[in-house]
Amino acid sequence: MKRNAKQKKKDNTTSPRTRLRFAQRAVLWSAVLIILGLTVLIIADRAARRAPGKRPVSLPTRIELSPADWVKGNSEAKVSLLEYSDFECPGCGSYYPILKRLFDEFGDRVKFLYRHFPLPQHAQADLAARAAEAAGRQGRFWEMHDRIFENRATWSKQADAEETFIGYAGELGLDPQRFRTDLNTADVRNAVEEDRKSGKRAGVQGTPTFFLNGWPIETPRGYDEFREILQQAVRSAS
Amino acid sequence: MNSEKFSNRPSGAPPNWILALFLVFSFMGFADSTYLTVKHYSGTPLECSIFHGCEKVTTSPYANLAGIPLALLGMIYYAAIIVLIVAHLDSRRKSIFVFAARATVIGFLASAWFVYLQLYVIRAVCPYCMLSAVVSTLLFVLGRIALRSRTSSKRGLTPAG
Repeated sequence: MKRNAKQKKKDNTTSPRTRLRFAQRAVLWSAVLIILGLTVLIIADRAARRAPGKRPVSLPTRIELSPADWVKGNSEAKVSLLEYSDFECPGCGSYYPILKRLFDEFGDRVKFLYRHFPLPQHAQADLAARAAEAAGRQGRFWEMHDRIFENRATWSKQADAEETFIGYAGELGLDPQRFRTDLNTADVRNAVEEDRKSGKRAGVQGTPTFFLNGWPIETPRGYDEFREILQQAVRSAS
Repeated sequence: MNSEKFSNRPSGAPPNWILALFLVFSFMGFADSTYLTVKHYSGTPLECSIFHGCEKVTTSPYANLAGIPLALLGMIYYAAIIVLIVAHLDSRRKSIFVFAARATVIGFLASAWFVYLQLYVIRAVCPYCMLSAVVSTLLFVLGRIALRSRTSSKRGLTPAG
């Protein structure tokens, strides 16, 4: 290349030298393009392959459903879908509409359960879990669950979202005074903590983690994949 | 520094080690932001783990600029630096290198802003984003070194000539 710089001439004729120079340039720039292109392809391939292959839990153990679990859908159904979730987790937030659609479609054939797994890096997650529990004490767990997920963008930015959650309780027609006290009772705190511990025992490492009929499943990517899994489960149960 | 080598070159041309490091760092930055871009578009980081806080950063409203993911802008930025350095190696035109070295200030300032956002606004640190910040800072420092040795060698020449 150094030689070429010296050979720079003004003649435009296609002498062997200029042709060689052109060939060298073509090789050089193709190499750059190929290297950058391959980098993109390899990384895209790796990233795509790792996600579905990732096991949601460290050791697959069967989870026993508890009468204390929050249930919606057909509580008599043979098929159960349990979610370990963190209200502040963006991933859980993006699965919320998916689960809502699944509930609309499978609510009559599947039992949907929810357990708390607030992660330490999410400052408001434990409070949010307690807010849902406290609403549950007044029979409105799922309504609060929906409201919390739908407004995730708002309260997750606050330094202390307690007043916001109390506001939601008022909007849902709950007794705000009782809700406020329940938020901080040992009973409610324990309920959240028990869920989290049960998740830890089952090897849950992140959220959301789903258990189908008590067995951990790889987190389905999107609605269609999830629908397929539930359809299959319903078919083999009947 | 290998000043002997340096004095053998046409005045102001950056030494090879600077060019090599430029390529290495901008390639690292390119690979890193490619990973973040792929993650952004594949929508797979739909999971929060006990171990890291990356999702909080990459899903924050600050991860986009006018609808374009920052990771993609990062890819373009690093690719542009690579192309400029290769163009310089190809043509041996100093002006191209000088342009690239000056352009690194963009990456440096942008990174400084993103690190600030991660530490004080989002309050979560994304290791891949931090790696990009480190790389663009190194590119900026390299650019400064190269530009300074260029001006000092120029200054050295003027009184002699």
